[in-house]
Amino acid sequence: MRLSRGDLLFVSVVSALAGLAFAIVASSCAPRRQAAEEGVLQVSETEQTESFIRNFNPLLEVGDVRWAAKNSMYEPMLIHNPIKGVYVPWLAESYRWEDTKLIFALRHEVLWSDGQPFRARDVVFTFELLKKFDALDTRGVWRFLAGVRAVDDFTVEVSFRRSYVPGLFFIGQQPIVPEHIWKDVADPVSFTNENPVATGPFTEVAWFRTQAYQVNRNPHYWQKGKPAVQSLRFIALPGNDQSVLAMINGELDWAGDFVPAIDRVYVAKDPEHYHYWFPLIDGMVMLYTNTSEPPYDDERVRKAISMAIDRELVVEVAMHGYSKPADGTGLNEGYEKYRSPEAVARGASWVKYDLGAASALLDTVGLKKGADGWRRKPDGSVWEVNVNCPAGWTDWVRAAQAIARGLQKAGIHATLRAYDYNTWFDKVQNGDFDLTVGWTEPGPTPYGLYRNLMSTETKKPKGQASAENWHRYGSLEADVLLARLEQTLDPAEEMRLTYELEMLFATHAPAIPLFPGPLWGQYDSNRFEGFPDKDNPYAPLSPHNSPQPLLVLPELRPR
Amino acid sequence: MKFLLRRVGFYLVAAWASLTLAFFVPRLMPGDPAHALYARFHGKLGPEAIESLSKALGLSHDPLWKQYFGYLGHVLRGDLGVSVSYFPAPVIDVIGVALGWTVLLTGFAVILSFIVGTLLGVYASWKRNGALDRIAPPLLTFLSAFPYFWLAMVALFVGGLTLHLFPLRHAYADYIAPSFSGEFLWSVAGHAFLPAATVVIATLGGWMLGMRSTMVAVMGEDYITLAHAKGLTPNRVMFRYAARNALLPNVTSFGMALGFVLSGSLLTEIIFSYPGQGYLLFQAVRSLDYPLLQGLFLTITFAVLGANFLVDVVYVWLDPRAR
Amino acid sequence: MRGLLADRRARIGFLLLGVSLAIAFIGSLFVHDPSDLVAKPLMPPSAAHWLGTTGQGQDVLAQTIAGARASLTVGFLVGFLVVAIGAVIGTIAGYFGGWVDDVLSLIVNVFLVMPGLPLMVVIAAYLPPGPGTIGFVLVLTGWAWTARVIRSQALALRERDFVHAAVVSGESHWRIILWEILPNMSSLLASSFIGAAIYAIGAEVGLEFLGLGDVSQVTWGTNLFWSANDSALVTGSWWTFVPTGLAIAAVGFALALLSNALDELGNPRLRGEDDFIKRLRGYGLRAGGATPVLRRTPGGAVESTVATSTARAEAPNGVARVPGEPGKKGETRVQP
Repeated sequence: MRLSRGDLLFVSVVSALAGLAFAIVASSCAPRRQAAEEGVLQVSETEQTESFIRNFNPLLEVGDVRWAAKNSMYEPMLIHNPIKGVYVPWLAESYRWEDTKLIFALRHEVLWSDGQPFRARDVVFTFELLKKFDALDTRGVWRFLAGVRAVDDFTVEVSFRRSYVPGLFFIGQQPIVPEHIWKDVADPVSFTNENPVATGPFTEVAWFRTQAYQVNRNPHYWQKGKPAVQSLRFIALPGNDQSVLAMINGELDWAGDFVPAIDRVYVAKDPEHYHYWFPLIDGMVMLYTNTSEPPYDDERVRKAISMAIDRELVVEVAMHGYSKPADGTGLNEGYEKYRSPEAVARGASWVKYDLGAASALLDTVGLKKGADGWRRKPDGSVWEVNVNCPAGWTDWVRAAQAIARGLQKAGIHATLRAYDYNTWFDKVQNGDFDLTVGWTEPGPTPYGLYRNLMSTETKKPKGQASAENWHRYGSLEADVLLARLEQTLDPAEEMRLTYELEMLFATHAPAIPLFPGPLWGQYDSNRFEGFPDKDNPYAPLSPHNSPQPLLVLPELRPR
Repeated sequence: MKFLLRRVGFYLVAAWASLTLAFFVPRLMPGDPAHALYARFHGKLGPEAIESLSKALGLSHDPLWKQYFGYLGHVLRGDLGVSVSYFPAPVIDVIGVALGWTVLLTGFAVILSFIVGTLLGVYASWKRNGALDRIAPPLLTFLSAFPYFWLAMVALFVGGLTLHLFPLRHAYADYIAPSFSGEFLWSVAGHAFLPAATVVIATLGGWMLGMRSTMVAVMGEDYITLAHAKGLTPNRVMFRYAARNALLPNVTSFGMALGFVLSGSLLTEIIFSYPGQGYLLFQAVRSLDYPLLQGLFLTITFAVLGANFLVDVVYVWLDPRAR
Repeated sequence: MRGLLADRRARIGFLLLGVSLAIAFIGSLFVHDPSDLVAKPLMPPSAAHWLGTTGQGQDVLAQTIAGARASLTVGFLVGFLVVAIGAVIGTIAGYFGGWVDDVLSLIVNVFLVMPGLPLMVVIAAYLPPGPGTIGFVLVLTGWAWTARVIRSQALALRERDFVHAAVVSGESHWRIILWEILPNMSSLLASSFIGAAIYAIGAEVGLEFLGLGDVSQVTWGTNLFWSANDSALVTGSWWTFVPTGLAIAAVGFALALLSNALDELGNPRLRGEDDFIKRLRGYGLRAGGATPVLRRTPGGAVESTVATSTARAEAPNGVARVPGEPGKKGETRVQP
């Protein structure tokens, strides 16, 4: 059979494609590992994005600022280390409280990367900027600050309006910018700071492209002889999968991403060098009930719902077993030293998976099963329960699915509702939900956690949008304890007050703790060493909570 | 000429409709960019951040109609505003580079697919029930029946992950600086190969079958018979007479396909992490980035309308009856 | 219909479609509840679970079948709506002409030109998630193409004699549209329906893959969404996305075969040519550039003959003779 021209065309197209493919393969000959040059540490960027904009403004919390700005360039006076539970003196060598004043003694040897000396006036200037442009004051520090002044070149005095000990966290960790550069910036909000002058270990932008950029070490860094690493390189990875692939390929030495079945997927590829460490110190994942609506205002109902949740299953399905069930205090493992055994015992009954007890409790409350097996409200209608979560956060969706199914087993007509997260967030803030999966903010002490969970100050009335305390629960007893916590500097007193808050939480169950959030961290020790891990827990491994990576960067060295 | 002018008028109406939609749809829904950003930080920011975020983003509290006319005014002046999710980068900058990559990748793939598919269709119809005609259409139809992002997943899985033959992301290797050097261009080609191949494979069948059916219809016409009778070579008849006339309806489809280059690339780019504007659109939708969303809609609409207009011009040139 | 089934492609298409529908609607009785967690996540195919398990420990086979039910229902429903709306608008525009046509054509063209996928993404992201939203978005972006195609056909039909006759005899416009024009477009409507269904299934899967559907439901699209989100690529779990893809392709292919067959049904010339070419091949000849003449036999079938003066066939050597068939014009001389 003679081949027609069409056949020839078809065959030639196919061969051309195959030939092209082969040529590309032969010429590029991609090795399996594609690491960067020696001395260049490959770090995961905070933003999962497909292209980079050159923005190194550390004061901006919105938009798209590069990881390097707050994690390797600009530094704060103190860094809180959640693993050790202490503040590490950084640009300040010490601090002390004097009534409502916080005094910082700054280090003398710090220089900016352009050689200029770092002085107290830089700190004052930074805080004044926050006051002048409140778009930069994302922590709202000027709500409790009265003033900031330089006592001398190396001493800063921060005056509070009232005694507010938790404020130390925000003041101490504020990134400081150089006055001599920034005083000429007209609008620091839209200033992209393309050529940063900073105090940190890596400040010199070597090159910057939309898909990758590199930052070289600061020749004037105040920790002499450090960093041992030459440069940091970042590549744009638009999603978790891409991150994991990069890790496997050796294109990422230090990362902090969720990896499913990590032993099989990542560690197995190079067991000697691929490591991970997921301490459970990130925010507790909670199931919030809308306590402003019956029957969720009854704590027995909340506890019954909690008892119908198989937390082991949830952790297995949603978190691939990386976490563990929470206890009745709502504390993650970063607060180990605060955990009260009495509170744990008080809350033990309602965080245990016990369908029988849950059913019995619901019957007592009056939410009995009807003929069709679904529980009914006192007025006879079926008790419909919606379990909300944001559709894009798949681990939460899995958790919510498992929870909804579990509730159904207890006779509760629960339905999973996964919304686009703007819609979800809107509903949650407006109190338009029954149950929702939600986060809690980790902090240096449980003060912030319990304030959000139980303070009447954060509880907004129905109809008003509420950015925190979505479950709208407030307790006057908690208020008293929290107010005293704000003022006390005595560690023993702090512990006692915290214990009492835990007891309150374990007794009344304002929200239902599910599991503590793992803080993701992975590292590849093929080319660098000095990373923290569970055998050497000197700092968190995750690169994603500025300014904590600053604790790690100077300790890394090439092998 | 009058025909073309009428078309231009229509395009202006269509452009306005598209822009208006792009303005209103995101705003009709709950939430706003500040809340979206706040939610994205997953609890790492305090709630007082929302206030300052709103201020930073310059969110307007003017009534909707006032914002709308302001927006139209800005667009006419070429000011697309500042992106929210890439704050404070101007929308034009954010779209600019991404646009280039999308046009390169998908434009090239669509053009290649059209040319090869059309030629295949011509040959298939010429030798009816020949080997090509019997094998290619069902095979290509089957390949087109897969959702093309699925083909992309398979291609990435097999070509990139299992066989380690192709890169896994980006438009060019990270260690190369963009320039006109051979190394850079070769890297671009290598990175574009899989995504382009999936688009070509998924769309080849459509062009081939389309051309084939119009060719068959044309080949039955009397003037083809006359051409044969006059003794013209089969090649000449096939191309100068049959194909040229059969091409007309397909050129219209091609114009539309070209216009949709910018919009249809979304799924391919997401799978291959190709830095085009399809992925940008998805991100903009997620983060309620109104200015970026509007900017993207604008570019896509203009691309579609521009391509259609180009097609109209070509049509007028190809088909004397339309003049 | 008989003519349709005579075509081998149509038979294959029907068979494939029938099997798919059967599996989709009856098969679900024989498998697990697709949303039940039955085993460890991400297990490869085994005897217990023929297609393995998903990232959450659900049975992939059950999910593929359940997904078929949901996706096919939406796909066909949307296909029907698209054709219904397109037919109404297209016919009205084509039939009445004049300013009605101008206005409707403008609307149709505006919808055609609007970028479909971005619009779908934007709208679906902001409406409550679910099949209703997806269906709405698909119909909104898909009706224009069918309307345009039907409008051209309506325009052509309107000029036909029988329509003129009906107008002259005083039939109302609506009766003409319903009883004269639409029935004559039946094969076009059928193939438009199939085309719309193909588009609907594909677009629905695409939108749900992006996460814009209701992710707690089991459909083909959400199966692929979960597969990607449970890191199928990274964990090498090909069984979580390959079966769904193949199922979609099978249905799409079946519909495409049917569509092609329908096209040829509406164009008897194509069938006649195929018939003619097959005959020539039976005699070791290859047809090229010939024009068969079609005839309807008393029995109603269409057959081809070769007009003597225009036949030209290639023969490997010299002159060949094609024996005449009973009832035909007699023998024909064929020359190279």
